[in-house]
Amino acid sequence: MPSTTDWHPGDDQVVVVRGPKPGGAGGAYRIFGETLRGLKTTFARVVEGTNTIAYPEEKVAVYPRFRGRHRLHRFEDTGLEKCVGCSLCAAACPADCIRVVAAENTPEHRVSAGERYASVYEINLSRCIFCGYCEVACPFDAITMGNDYEMSDYHRSDLIFTKEMLLAEPLERAPIRAEGE
Amino acid sequence: MPRPEPQFITFSIDGREVQAPANEMLVDAAKRGDVEIPVFCYEPKLGAPVGACRMCLVDIEGIPKLQTGCSTPVKDGMVVHTQTKRVKDAQESVLEFLLINHPLDCPVCDKGGECPLQDVSFGWGGGKTRFIEPKRHFKKPLELSPLVAIDRERCILCYRCVRFSQELSEDYQLVLHERGAATFVGTFDGHPYVAPFSGNIIELCPVGALTSRPYRFRARPWDIENSGSVCTLCPAQCNVAFTVRDDRVLRVMARDNDEVDDGWLCDKGRFAYQSVHAEQRIVAPMVRDGGVLREVPWARAIEEATLALKKSGGRVAGLAGGATTNEEGFLLQRLVRDVHGSPHVDSSAGLPRAGLLAMGDPALQATVADLEFAHTVLVLGTEPVDDMPIVDLRLRKGVRRNRMTLAVATSRPSSLDPNAVLSVRYAPGAEAAFVAALSAAFYGGDVDTPARAAGTDAGAVAELAALLRTSGGDEAGDVVVLYGERVLAGGEAVTQPLLKLAGALGLSGRAGAGLLGIPAATNGRGLREAGVVPDAGPGLAELATAGADAAGIAASLTAGDTTVLYLMHTDPLRDQPQRATWDRALDKATHVIAHAGFMTEGIREHATVVFPAESYAEKEGTIVHPDGRLQRLRPAIGRPAGVRAAWQVLDELMRAAGVDTGLHTVHSATRQLFESVPFYAGLTVDTLGGKGLRWWEDEARAAAWPEPAKPGLLATVASSTPTYEAAATPNGALRLGTFKSIWASPEVEASPALKFLHPTQRVELSPVDAERLGIRHGEHVTVGGDGASVAAVAHLRNESPAGSAFLQSGIPEGAANVLEGPLVEIRKAQST
Ligand code: SF4
Ligand code: SF4
Ligand code: SF4
Ligand code: SF4
Ligand code: FES
Repeated sequence: MPSTTDWHPGDDQVVVVRGPKPGGAGGAYRIFGETLRGLKTTFARVVEGTNTIAYPEEKVAVYPRFRGRHRLHRFEDTGLEKCVGCSLCAAACPADCIRVVAAENTPEHRVSAGERYASVYEINLSRCIFCGYCEVACPFDAITMGNDYEMSDYHRSDLIFTKEMLLAEPLERAPIRAEGE
Repeated sequence: MPRPEPQFITFSIDGREVQAPANEMLVDAAKRGDVEIPVFCYEPKLGAPVGACRMCLVDIEGIPKLQTGCSTPVKDGMVVHTQTKRVKDAQESVLEFLLINHPLDCPVCDKGGECPLQDVSFGWGGGKTRFIEPKRHFKKPLELSPLVAIDRERCILCYRCVRFSQELSEDYQLVLHERGAATFVGTFDGHPYVAPFSGNIIELCPVGALTSRPYRFRARPWDIENSGSVCTLCPAQCNVAFTVRDDRVLRVMARDNDEVDDGWLCDKGRFAYQSVHAEQRIVAPMVRDGGVLREVPWARAIEEATLALKKSGGRVAGLAGGATTNEEGFLLQRLVRDVHGSPHVDSSAGLPRAGLLAMGDPALQATVADLEFAHTVLVLGTEPVDDMPIVDLRLRKGVRRNRMTLAVATSRPSSLDPNAVLSVRYAPGAEAAFVAALSAAFYGGDVDTPARAAGTDAGAVAELAALLRTSGGDEAGDVVVLYGERVLAGGEAVTQPLLKLAGALGLSGRAGAGLLGIPAATNGRGLREAGVVPDAGPGLAELATAGADAAGIAASLTAGDTTVLYLMHTDPLRDQPQRATWDRALDKATHVIAHAGFMTEGIREHATVVFPAESYAEKEGTIVHPDGRLQRLRPAIGRPAGVRAAWQVLDELMRAAGVDTGLHTVHSATRQLFESVPFYAGLTVDTLGGKGLRWWEDEARAAAWPEPAKPGLLATVASSTPTYEAAATPNGALRLGTFKSIWASPEVEASPALKFLHPTQRVELSPVDAERLGIRHGEHVTVGGDGASVAAVAHLRNESPAGSAFLQSGIPEGAANVLEGPLVEIRKAQST
């Protein structure tokens, strides 16, 4: 092993080119010249007027494919839950934030169309990275990403969304961009 | 038949030169060269391959057609290809065929995620189907039994389940009905598939056709963790993997350890895990207060126990049950002997020290695997399916696959009789006379007298002796005597002729032959070696003063010589004979301190301090298999909040008495135990590993077995004349025999899934006696003797010997131990 002191990088050496040393003419240019160059952009846009959005009174419309808070779905005709509690979404989730505990449907207590249903379905939204893998994994289109992005809360535990919360019709708070907008 | 010696040959697979034992099936041989051939129906545990699914097709040079890798033995110089187009096409077509009728309802299928059909389709399938016609339909899901659900649409007809039922457990219930695409699996008569080993078909089924009802939809493979440990519900000590989700045990699966269980589990081991989370489990310490047990804080319970032990002034006795680990037993005997100076500790080993040493001599030990490869196995006084279930499968395997000769000598008809070459019956309790007769037949002594005393036929005994003598052809081959340790209750009268027999058969020091005792309770052997016997300390060391055994403890409690009884995972009213005697003894005791998981009768009525016991899924420690394998218990889940480890409680009680125990963790207890048992020298929990090890296989450790067990003993024993008591003459009454069903345990009672199997009292008797007494099958009767009686249902068995009646022990109500025997009378119950 050669010691580090006799290491010669040879032609691969990268020469670092440094800017002018502070002070003198170079220093003066850095303070005034570059600052003015930046301000040029600022002043050029002044004529456009203000563009501030007064959130939360006013909201940005999201694209229809925007991945916001999830929704669980029911069949429109029968009202049964589409989710069969297969746990595939939980397997796909890279943040490991979905918990599914399945149970068996009985004739007296039928929740979903298949043999099994999700007796517990929870998503910990404080961990979710909104990747949408769960939606991709679901064989029954039972879970989809909604558009709602307003999910802040005062307690972490309130961000664990239960099946009932995910099944409920969400308050459509996020406006959606129309086609071509 | 002795184990075959493998001969290695060389063959080529996918261009690799691979060494494999000659005649190994290609599928297994390929694995040695890291080549995987997909299979469905092939399962070496099931014996000879059947070639039902055609998934394993391979191309062998010189053979024009593709061959099934699972049923083609490998030959020297064979050239095999698994990656050619022909093989690929065949694999894709086979899968396409298999999936034609397959519902592919993976999302609702319990096998999803751990399904070989999914894996093989993904790895070898074409990924497309051309089938657009309607699929085959069956009604689903159906109950194959209360434990197993069947979905016939998913079945790929691999025969595995049917083969298990027909060829492994030999219950002959599962069959394939109909033909062609309409074939389906079911029981031959349409009744539920109820058998002691039925749960194994769940694990065998390569698809989701057979699934566990208790586990149904509980979790996916990615939701769970598997935690390896050992099942402590019977002496077989099968290696298991607990499936854990959210700190709850949801399933028990076999963890392959061929030397212990061959990869099978009985249904008790597979489903009684439910008792771990049962509501009736004791999860807080209790103290008797005003006649009733009330929950109290730990400090109070410990204080109460400490005070009781202190006030007794050394008049203490300790009794350990089978679920006690070596460490717990070791600490219990320390508490009783060293701390409180009383010699009375027992775990119902049933033999004095000399007997234990002679029977436990390392040179005489046989292993479970020896049962399979011996020339002859003699089953003596035990019903394996009840006493050590998994051994039943091993014996059947030996007979079926390795041409082992099986002989059965019991009082109660055995379920192994149909497999045995010879079955001999003797009167219940006449083991000593029977063994004396057998041994006499060997030495050319008088067979008639002992045979008559044993209530057996001298001719049959002579035949049995001849069978054993010539088991290896002209000479005595490898013989294993598998005996229930209950037969040793006769003490020297049984062990002496038995050892004499062992000497005559040349079992001492012979590999593949020997004695194998089935203890009455799980860790019987470990407790003995840890010193939980009246007259020996840890390592069976000689003691200055011998204490009383269980029966002696009962007498001493009744007489008031002992005032405090310390019960470790045992309820004498359940586990000991002579229930009335124990009832009196416990009543007399001023304090009964018990570690218990469930409120069984004796605990409920007599315990004054109850410490909640850990379940076997929570325990850490070591136990010893009947063949000497030290195994490690590892906790799969945390304890419920109110439960503490038993070693910790014992430690606190010893510290409260002012003793520095030097214990910090359960491992320090293990270390102390291993240090004080000479023949465990040098062992650590790490050397035991996941599969345990037989301590006597190491020569240095075997040599550390205490003296009188050296070969000389066999010689001295051989020269003495045995003494035995004759079996009682029925004289119109019936001899009482007892048996304990595999289902008789508090864990089974606490498992909802096994509810349908709870044993109820039945009396087995022969049709001859029944006719004489005017009793019909299924009739309610009372079995009585000596003023006590139990209610039972008459169960006539054609094979039952006339003159004897058999009652169940170990059940909550009306167990056999209510009666003292040896004779009972059976009467029709008063109609209600
Ligand atoms: S969006 Fe991604 S991170 Fe969030 S729950 Fe679905 S899979 Fe998990
Ligand atoms: S949401 Fe879809 S993927 Fe998740 S459990 Fe339900 S059915 Fe399965
Ligand atoms: S058996 Fe396997 S392939 Fe068939 S539905 Fe079940 S998980 Fe899917
Ligand atoms: S039920 Fe399962 S094990 Fe039995 S034949 Fe069908 S696929 Fe094979
Ligand atoms: S695995 Fe070979 S035919 Fe089934």
